[in-house]
Amino acid sequence: MEGLIMWLDFPVYASAAILCWLAASGLFLTSGKKLMNQMAAGLSAAGTTFLLVFIVILWIHIQRPPMRTLGETRLWYAIFISAIGLASYLRWKYKWLVSYSLGLAMVFLIINLQHPETYDKTLMPALQSPWFIPHVIVYIFAYAMLGASSLVALRNLFFVPTEKTIQGAIQMADNLVYLGFSFLTLGLLFGALWAKEAWGHYWTWDPKETWAFITWMFYLVYIHYRFRHPSEHKKAMAILTASFAILLICWFGVNYLPSAENSVHVYSE
Amino acid sequence: MSNKNSRKTRTNPWSYRDGTIVTVAILSLGFAIQAASGGIVIRIAGFPWNLVAGLIFLAILLSAFVLWRKHRAMKWLGSVKAALPAILGFTFLVLLMGFVKQDVEPKNALSRLFGLTHLIKTWPFILINLYLLILLGIATLKRLTPFNLKNTGFFLNHFGLFLVLFSTALGSSDMQRLSMNCYKNQDVNLAVDASGKSVEMPFTVKLLNFTIDEFRPKVTIIETKTGQPFSEKVKERFELMDRDSFNISGFRINVVKFLENSGKVGDSFEAWNEPGSAPSAKVRVTNLTNHSEISGWICSGSFANPAQVLELNDQLSLAMLPAEPRKFSSELDIQAKNGKRVATTIEVNHPFKMDGWMIYQQGYNTEMGRWSNLNVLELVRDPWLPIVYLGIFLMMAGAGFLFFTGKPKNGGTNHVA
Ligand code: HEM
Repeated sequence: MEGLIMWLDFPVYASAAILCWLAASGLFLTSGKKLMNQMAAGLSAAGTTFLLVFIVILWIHIQRPPMRTLGETRLWYAIFISAIGLASYLRWKYKWLVSYSLGLAMVFLIINLQHPETYDKTLMPALQSPWFIPHVIVYIFAYAMLGASSLVALRNLFFVPTEKTIQGAIQMADNLVYLGFSFLTLGLLFGALWAKEAWGHYWTWDPKETWAFITWMFYLVYIHYRFRHPSEHKKAMAILTASFAILLICWFGVNYLPSAENSVHVYSE
Repeated sequence: MSNKNSRKTRTNPWSYRDGTIVTVAILSLGFAIQAASGGIVIRIAGFPWNLVAGLIFLAILLSAFVLWRKHRAMKWLGSVKAALPAILGFTFLVLLMGFVKQDVEPKNALSRLFGLTHLIKTWPFILINLYLLILLGIATLKRLTPFNLKNTGFFLNHFGLFLVLFSTALGSSDMQRLSMNCYKNQDVNLAVDASGKSVEMPFTVKLLNFTIDEFRPKVTIIETKTGQPFSEKVKERFELMDRDSFNISGFRINVVKFLENSGKVGDSFEAWNEPGSAPSAKVRVTNLTNHSEISGWICSGSFANPAQVLELNDQLSLAMLPAEPRKFSSELDIQAKNGKRVATTIEVNHPFKMDGWMIYQQGYNTEMGRWSNLNVLELVRDPWLPIVYLGIFLMMAGAGFLFFTGKPKNGGTNHVA
């Protein structure tokens, strides 16, 4: 089928993206020159563009939004996390952040290269809704930003920063969390409105919903903790790291939990 | 609740420690009542008692705030020191829900005793909700007085959540979810609830027509003896028959003829459009390793006709899977008691609203598939929904504020009363 034929091309696009990103990271990390940084930014954008082109062609070929399978969500994740890494570089000039983001995006591509799945064209009726795209895009946006924030957290936990450097870094983590959390909230609420349209109730505590809610609660804890304890950096960063672990469970792990048999959200093969 | 060993509690007697104690006490009390009541699942009283209780709660919350707003305990109730442990306590319950499968028969005595399989209907859940409502209510009131535009985002997020929690908790008992079985051209005005009790509806529904649009079926290669899929790799297991030729697991399939509705006549299939007809295809299959060719019919079969597979060699066969629905829809004629009459078509994701009821396309006789003469509608009435939606919209606006304003630069505490 055509969707599958498209996925046979995937290694080409993915390798192109990975090569661009490796080069970009290399330039970012080794050179201090302005021109080199600009080139690195260009390469990083080029890598993202390769994937965008791929996903647009894929979308046209399979005639449905490519947002259903885990493989497809990973692809969006790679696109958004690389784009956000670049955007945050352009805004904040953190070179390490863009390299980390590209690294993470590459991990998602490599997982996809090693575990191709079926990408069949059928989409069950409940998923054929105008809510589908905004719901998933908003979530992926949220995940990408929160993922980036956890990179900041991990860096602060392991590379002991000085009092001077931490201010900027922690502010960046906060910014990313606020942006990511606002999208996470929107995703949750879009999901509720959609569920009401499709299933008759806005919240059924389906396992995926439950885990999405748990994720949301963890970031809520971070926001409230930071608000009243602006100088307890280490603890805040620990909360942020834990939140990301929960987010990963919500995304990958739920399918394997005993509580999740028959969940309407578990991605089909 | 002071503790002489702790410097923090001495300087500030209403601290995280107290927040933790209160939250743990609420959860323990909840589980204790739950166990004492013998694992009975709770129902909150229905209208008008839930409304009365809600109004009394609001009145008490408001007057307590006005009367004691200067009291340390009241300040504490509106602070992060109470909020954080409470949020964590709630998270703990939701985590339990994340690990224990919900809405099933409890597997062991422990889950039966504490209601672990029906957590949202248990005492600890309801009590922690009530506690969160109190905290949210007081935090909102605290930030609202004196009014400061800078607190708009805070208000939208916290009051929005307050409304959602408040109305879902109180409204749960007023919500009705019924299902109605409709047969073609029959007037129905009875529906049944989850416990099987019949409920008379304020309108009659007549199913005029039920249609299913289907995707083209998929084909797969199976081991003839076991009927199991041949390929271990999920990726290669199925192919959608939406093109004239494609490869699957080392075979090339050419579709010579595809019949959407067919029946078996002798050794082949012919177009036939009656209940029980099924898709079928005449295919030419080439083995890509030895280039041998086989032709024949495959058919997914239906409730009336057996499936037809094509044997490719002594081990493998090509089989067609039942087509998957793309869309199902029902044409309904609805006649209300007050004389109003409407004709409408509903489908999944496109419910219809009638006199306070939402009518959803739920299911059909899947065995009969397209020929189903039974259509199951879901009827939902949720009078508290507008308040839930108001809360949801406030929170959406609040999310907009989080996005645009981000984290307050100074830690945000300077516009806090
Ligand atoms: C679960 C129940 C919640 C409770 C009990 C709670 C309680 C509180 C409290 C007490 C504060 C500090 C206020 C002060 O010191 O004056 C606060 C701050 C804050 N809360 Fe919540 N909150 C809850 C849920 C939420 C939600 C759902 C959101 C966002 C969607 C949120 C976002 C914030 C933000 C952003 C702040 C910082 C205040 C500011 O920027 O003005 N909270 N919360």
